[in-house]
Amino acid sequence: MKKQQTGQSMDRVDGRLKVTGGARYFADHQPDGLLYAALVCSPVSSGTIKSVNATLALRAPGVVDVVSHLNAPRVPAYQESKPGAKDGLKIFKDDRIYSNGQPVAIVVANTLERAVYAASLVEVQYNQETHYTDMNASMDKAFQNSRMKDYVRGEAGAWEKAAVTHTAQYTIPLEVHNPMELAGIIAHWTTPDTLTLYAKTQGVKSVQETIQDLFKIPEQNITVHSQFVGGGFGMALRIWPLEVATILAAKKIRKPVKLVITRDQMFTLVGYRPNATQQLSIGATAEGKLTGITHEAVAITSPYEDFTEGIVAMSKFMYACPNVNTKYQLVPLNMSTPVWMRGPGEATGSFALESAIDELAHKLKMDPLQLRVINHADVDPEKNLPFSSKYLKEAYEIGAEKIGWTNRNPVPRSREEDGMLVGYGMSSGTFGAYRGKATVSATLKADGSLVLQSAASDIGPGTATAMVQIAADVTGIAPEKIKFMLGESSYPFAPEQGGSSTVSTVGSAVSDACKALQQQLATIAISNIPAFKTAAPETIIYEDGQLLTANRQEKISYEALLQQQQLPEVKVMTTSQGGPERKKYSMYSFSVHFAKVHVHPATGVVRIKHIVSVADAGTIVNAKTARSQMIGGVVGGIGMALTEEAILDHRFGRFVNNNFADYHVAVNADTPPTDVYFINKKDPYINPMGSKGMGEIALIGFAAAVANAVFNATGKRVRDLPITPDKVLETTA
Amino acid sequence: MNQFSYVRPANLKAAIDAVAKDKSARFIAGGTNLLDLMKSGVVTSEKLVDINRLPLKDIQLSEGALHIGALVLNSDLAAHDLVKTQHPLLSQALLAGASQQLRNMATVGGNMMQRTRCTYFYDTTMPCNKRAPNSGCGAIGGINRMHAIFGASDSCIAVHPSDMCVALAALDAMVLVTGPKGSRRIPFTDFHRLPGNTPQLDNNLGKGELITAVEIPSNHFTKNIYYLKVRDRASYAFALVSVAVALDIRDGVIHEARLAMGGVAHKPWRLPEAEKALAGKAPTAENFRIAAGIATQSAKAYKHNMFKPALALNSIQTALQKAASV
Amino acid sequence: MSAENDQHPRDKQAGRRDFLKQSSAMMALALTPPLVIKAAAHDEAIAGIFEKMPVNMEINGKKMQLSVEPRTTLLDLLREQLALTGTKKGCDHGQCGACTVHVNGRRINSCLTLAVMQEGNQVTTIEGIANGDQLHPVQEAFIKHDGFQCGYCTPGQIMSAVACIREGHAGSPEQIREFMSGNICRCGAYDNIVNAIVDVKSGGKTV
Repeated sequence: MKKQQTGQSMDRVDGRLKVTGGARYFADHQPDGLLYAALVCSPVSSGTIKSVNATLALRAPGVVDVVSHLNAPRVPAYQESKPGAKDGLKIFKDDRIYSNGQPVAIVVANTLERAVYAASLVEVQYNQETHYTDMNASMDKAFQNSRMKDYVRGEAGAWEKAAVTHTAQYTIPLEVHNPMELAGIIAHWTTPDTLTLYAKTQGVKSVQETIQDLFKIPEQNITVHSQFVGGGFGMALRIWPLEVATILAAKKIRKPVKLVITRDQMFTLVGYRPNATQQLSIGATAEGKLTGITHEAVAITSPYEDFTEGIVAMSKFMYACPNVNTKYQLVPLNMSTPVWMRGPGEATGSFALESAIDELAHKLKMDPLQLRVINHADVDPEKNLPFSSKYLKEAYEIGAEKIGWTNRNPVPRSREEDGMLVGYGMSSGTFGAYRGKATVSATLKADGSLVLQSAASDIGPGTATAMVQIAADVTGIAPEKIKFMLGESSYPFAPEQGGSSTVSTVGSAVSDACKALQQQLATIAISNIPAFKTAAPETIIYEDGQLLTANRQEKISYEALLQQQQLPEVKVMTTSQGGPERKKYSMYSFSVHFAKVHVHPATGVVRIKHIVSVADAGTIVNAKTARSQMIGGVVGGIGMALTEEAILDHRFGRFVNNNFADYHVAVNADTPPTDVYFINKKDPYINPMGSKGMGEIALIGFAAAVANAVFNATGKRVRDLPITPDKVLETTA
Repeated sequence: MNQFSYVRPANLKAAIDAVAKDKSARFIAGGTNLLDLMKSGVVTSEKLVDINRLPLKDIQLSEGALHIGALVLNSDLAAHDLVKTQHPLLSQALLAGASQQLRNMATVGGNMMQRTRCTYFYDTTMPCNKRAPNSGCGAIGGINRMHAIFGASDSCIAVHPSDMCVALAALDAMVLVTGPKGSRRIPFTDFHRLPGNTPQLDNNLGKGELITAVEIPSNHFTKNIYYLKVRDRASYAFALVSVAVALDIRDGVIHEARLAMGGVAHKPWRLPEAEKALAGKAPTAENFRIAAGIATQSAKAYKHNMFKPALALNSIQTALQKAASV
Repeated sequence: MSAENDQHPRDKQAGRRDFLKQSSAMMALALTPPLVIKAAAHDEAIAGIFEKMPVNMEINGKKMQLSVEPRTTLLDLLREQLALTGTKKGCDHGQCGACTVHVNGRRINSCLTLAVMQEGNQVTTIEGIANGDQLHPVQEAFIKHDGFQCGYCTPGQIMSAVACIREGHAGSPEQIREFMSGNICRCGAYDNIVNAIVDVKSGGKTV
């Protein structure tokens, strides 16, 4: 047998393109006759547009058009919307301003510089109304919708009766995805009802579907290209008003139009992780058995959409606790709509839950690791189902050993190194292991090469590389002869890249398509090759790119078969999805994060010195890219823990740090050496590879590990992220 | 950016003439701050006068002082042997600022001319007396976590963002300028201004005046020096507070002390009283504590920077200890 | 480095259009015979031409004679006019490093310099560091150590990494982390980037 490819540290198949500048992201395309667009955005947070005066802009050199609600082409879907329906911002439909930064016009010119400058010449006047951007001042508007019902298992509020209790409020600020690539799109109507798009998206098919719904044109008339995506972290899971605005301008002008938004517009136009306040209450017996958890969360949304996520999800099943109740509410504000940001709601919720566990352990005078172990949920207490696989306890053990957990003194502020206070902290994370529906075409060429196509995306994890490895193992074809093509709407359906599900969903379809291809080859051999004539199809052996008869006496390579039969290619198309196993088992990935921190007490500066993260994510398809994904999630977690916070001046409803100098994404110097370990045990039920997801658990829980370590170092408990120096600094009053 | 004309004068006089005679003309050197401001719409200029080819790039000793041309790049200055050996505090401060890419573009003169990072100054939809006189100060009643605790006024609480300037202030540097009316020398600590009721003026340069060089007099601060920068992330961030310390310690006594802070005032903030308190004293924790207390006595905080006086106090002590223990 | 005389830009908008006409005419004055100037003042298309300036530079070893507006940044020139799209725009304000290129051997942020300021300079972009099909050692190391995920910041990281080694700032992982902090990677590949640089540095290949 050839070497097993799954689990190998194969280099990325697109690595060369990425290191040479040859990878083409949406804005790198330059169709003939390309025009450039720039947005004019509202500086008021609520109200109506009184007037739009584009005279100066239109007279500026090179300006082609200025499109606003006054002159935008009609969007058929807008007419279907019922008044008051919370179905999104309908850009350029009317004069209503819902939030600061909302686009009010788009300027198109023949050069980038001219478009940007002309946008500053558009004069817009507003009727300003009272706006609300402060959640704390708007709690009276809190509500629940049908997706966010209260949850009760056992007795609500049981924590209060416990021998040892803890209750506290945890807050996370608004965070912004901020992928390095700026959002935007190139739109070109080649006929009045045929549209070509170069998009930044985590799902080309969902873009196609959204545009189809909006403009009522046939699916096949919409072509979406998105082969390279410069990061998404959730913000590219949907179409935003900025893309529709560009498509409308392009429709009016009938030439290709490119919009690349600015970094400050990334804060208001493409979603964010909503700020949230959580009250986490927890009780246990004196021996540390949990008896009750109450988790109540409030988060923000826009006036025109209810955005919900799994903030309280983890509290329901992470620990074996008989009494759990949760409540989740939204406060609508004059803000744009949030969207899932890496780890989504679980990252928010885990900060509260995993901090609270640490605080409870401190009150119990118990090792927080021990507290977690004795409350380990052997079965899913929420669904009352066995887990399809769960190696959380092994993950705890590995992490504890690798970080040197025994060096942790449970007494806070008891350890120093080089004038710095030393602390150790840990936490755990979990996220659903999903498997969606996807279709893959597999084409074997006469030269023995295999081409796979699916409209999947790769925002960075290395989708094509993993797919090649999966296909190589099923077919025995060498990886260098396999090509996986993605990012085109003309390819067979795949869902968005999100929720840590691409390997599970698309990988399963690749596996199934490769198997179907082999069966097709067997059928050809049985019909045409004398030595295979009598073989029953189910007895054929597939090995190393060859067909073998059951007795291994006869064999023919795929390549030879096609050549003998003078077939230029053999193609199959397979759709694959999960089955009844998803009803029998509870499927989750798990992570454990350990952090060692140094805290400088005089200045409050926290430096993470060492990180150990352990993932129970099933089979690891590519050890190299999987590690990258884990360390990447951890770096996102460092930002969440220590530096990231988008700050609003509520008087204006505007962000005051909407740039990379003031919104602090972690830089290289913030990151310590990070050790990543994988349990790497196959999940027997989830999919043919046994792979669970990893993108989210890499980040979920991490912030709590840091907060817990800072407490261990200093005795200070920071419950509102990020843990900036001012919150830690010790005053000698 | 608006369209503008661009000229590259052949000599100093032509460059000064070009700016002196044209109301909205500006010098451009590294461009790292000016182009940032022009892109943001904070500054509009109709003519940029590129001075990068002028012969203002020398670093040399002249009568004991270190003469640094205004167009010396921040990265070159930090790495220069004379700076590393004679004024290591300056090298440390330079390397604490920005990124290597920006230090490769930014000049000494440009660094001194950089504007505040106050968000209300940068956002042209917000009130700001510095950008638009008499429009009000957005920061005083707004988000002021990064703002001044010393020397602010009712019209402006912005801070000067430079690290380099904090070291130059501590080192008693002299600024050499040439303008339409000839050349003059300005003590570094008098170069930048406090906001008062004219926050639109960052410094005391006249129209058409150009910084040609900075001179650092010889000193004994080659060993016991430290530049401490406290910031929200480990690198590539502006200071919450920064402290430049230079001590001349002989036989266990502080012969002379220099202290300056960044991120706390509209200009690099020298702390002369604290320096006096240290002179002639032993470099002990107690004396450092007393000096830090004196240094921060007049601090006045706002809603979101209440932590700054304490952080400043602690940072001064930390920096003094670091400098003394080298 | 001039004195402060900022005006609130909103105050000036009404007059801007007139200024534009004047300014293009003034520019034209410096460059062209008087006859054309008249046309320039009245005809937007011609005005556009005379808003441009000639600039010569060497890009990836190739001498180029270009014509650009003074306000065009080096980054936008590379990307939009020369189709050298390997260099990326991540913030356009010198705050992320995605646009890092070398000018006369130094790494800089190409978003914060004007193309016209590069007269006579040598510019190297990510497209210019490989030797034909032979990748630069830093490029190879980035592949080997998976120094990226989405790949968007990668050209800037690689240009910065090459310079970091050449400058002598790759002496230790700590030094590398500090001197690579001007290049943000939101995917968080920092640990791998450091490993790639350490590998190249210790490998002893000419960088």
